[in-house]
Amino acid sequence: MNWTGAARTILVCAILIVLHYTLRPLLAWRASIDFIIVALLLGAVRLRPGAAAVYGLALGLVSDSLAVSSFGAAALGMSIVGFGASWLKAVFFADNLALNGFFLFLAKWVFDLIVLLVGHRAHGAEIAMQLFVWSPLSAAVTAVAGVIALSLLKPLMEVRTA
Amino acid sequence: MATAARSSSRADAALLVGCVVVSFIAIALPGAERTADGAVTSEGPREAVAGALRRTIVAPLVGLQRGSERWRSAWTAGERQQLVIDSLSMRATRLQALQVENDQLRKLMGLGTRLEWGFVPAEALHSTTPNDGLVTTLTLTAGSTAGVARYSPVVAADGLVGTIRNADPTMSIAILYTDPDFRASAMAADGNSFGIVYPHAARVGGGDSYMLELRGVPTRVNLKPGSVIYTSGLGGTFPRGITIGSIVQELKTAEVWTRTYLVRPAVSPSRVTFVLILSPQRVTQGTGNIWGATVNADSATKRIAAAGDSLAKQAAVLQAQARQAALDSMKRATIDSVRRSLGAPPLSIAPTDSAGRGAQRAAPASAQPGPRRDSTRARRDTLRPDTTRKPRP
Repeated sequence: MNWTGAARTILVCAILIVLHYTLRPLLAWRASIDFIIVALLLGAVRLRPGAAAVYGLALGLVSDSLAVSSFGAAALGMSIVGFGASWLKAVFFADNLALNGFFLFLAKWVFDLIVLLVGHRAHGAEIAMQLFVWSPLSAAVTAVAGVIALSLLKPLMEVRTA
Repeated sequence: MATAARSSSRADAALLVGCVVVSFIAIALPGAERTADGAVTSEGPREAVAGALRRTIVAPLVGLQRGSERWRSAWTAGERQQLVIDSLSMRATRLQALQVENDQLRKLMGLGTRLEWGFVPAEALHSTTPNDGLVTTLTLTAGSTAGVARYSPVVAADGLVGTIRNADPTMSIAILYTDPDFRASAMAADGNSFGIVYPHAARVGGGDSYMLELRGVPTRVNLKPGSVIYTSGLGGTFPRGITIGSIVQELKTAEVWTRTYLVRPAVSPSRVTFVLILSPQRVTQGTGNIWGATVNADSATKRIAAAGDSLAKQAAVLQAQARQAALDSMKRATIDSVRRSLGAPPLSIAPTDSAGRGAQRAAPASAQPGPRRDSTRARRDTLRPDTTRKPRP
């Protein structure tokens, strides 16, 4: 990835992160869009898996700083998701929007699963409800938002497959 | 090449392991110490790290999030306020409608109290919406079971609404004055100018401007705009004195001997919700002057004037009779005195003449001092000379 491509990626990821902290509270949906996951995946596929894990850790710590009760859970989840996305980048950036959407959905759902299990945010029926109702819904809207973002930003972003 | 790839894979795996370890360390960091009631006694390392992040790297994002949440709160508060405003305005609208309905019911109750008997109250159900064209019929929630008959007049507090076309047992259909078949014999407030009211052919001004025409008014009668028109009672369908409307202007027609006027109805059909249906007995016996205050005043004035005239006439007749009686008694007294002076027996003293008696009987005692005085004087005149003159011979 050249410098221009890196700058573009950083800009797009910054925009998505800003959206996460501006648009998401404004919408305040029960199943909200996770722009940070989209930013993580967009960045991770342009990095080596190790670097993607570090990138995920950084984003996770940013998230955790605002959710002290489960501090570290988002860092762990994003590290794993970032590493996995970078490792699966060839699949992720196949020229198929539906496939991209599916991987966005999967990434968000895995992230929520890790955060719920490690962060001890819910118990019993509540955890099941969160995992099988709200997390899939949130993953779905995140996937839709991610697909739209990928479609809009495709001309701007240079894709480099491994 | 393979060695480089392998080493980079190892580096990636090492980085992942490092990240996972850091994450677990973060998870394992002790939180704030709390008392039994949940109060924070001291800030733990977890809060310290998170706080440091919030104050430095994440600070701009925290600011953005706070701004968004404020926007969201303002938006929600605005929505709540809008809901409150909407519900208040809705309530105000309902209140207005209720007030209008209440006014109508009060008026109708007042009308019912004045009518006293011979009517059936009914609710008017509109078969067409007010904006859906010309309203010509109304469905009324009273039928033949309640005493409603065909051609019974339908009235509201403001005046004439229409007449019953069909009376079913539980409900009836009324045609309004807007119906092409509607006719009513009408008169002006003075009770001297008559005409026939027809529905106006063209709607004027749109909306509720249902207008009527007063046709067949004699040319010599000139009705001014604003003059109130009432039913005349001719024809027997409507009793006399129900307000129909008021004159707007004269319409130019080809008629030479009659005038036609445009009349604004007193009742707006689209706003009629409650009506009274007059029974046939009430139509026959009349409604009195319930609607027409002007008719009331006019007819009362006329009646007073007529009564005054008859009293004056009666007084004049009585005066003439009294004068006649006085003349009669004077004449009789003169004849008697002449006869006595001649030695002839006097005529029997007759009481007052028949005219005088009639007058006394007809008029009350206090109202007829003249004739009595005259008759007594006449008697005195007839007696006194006799008593004074008797000892002389």
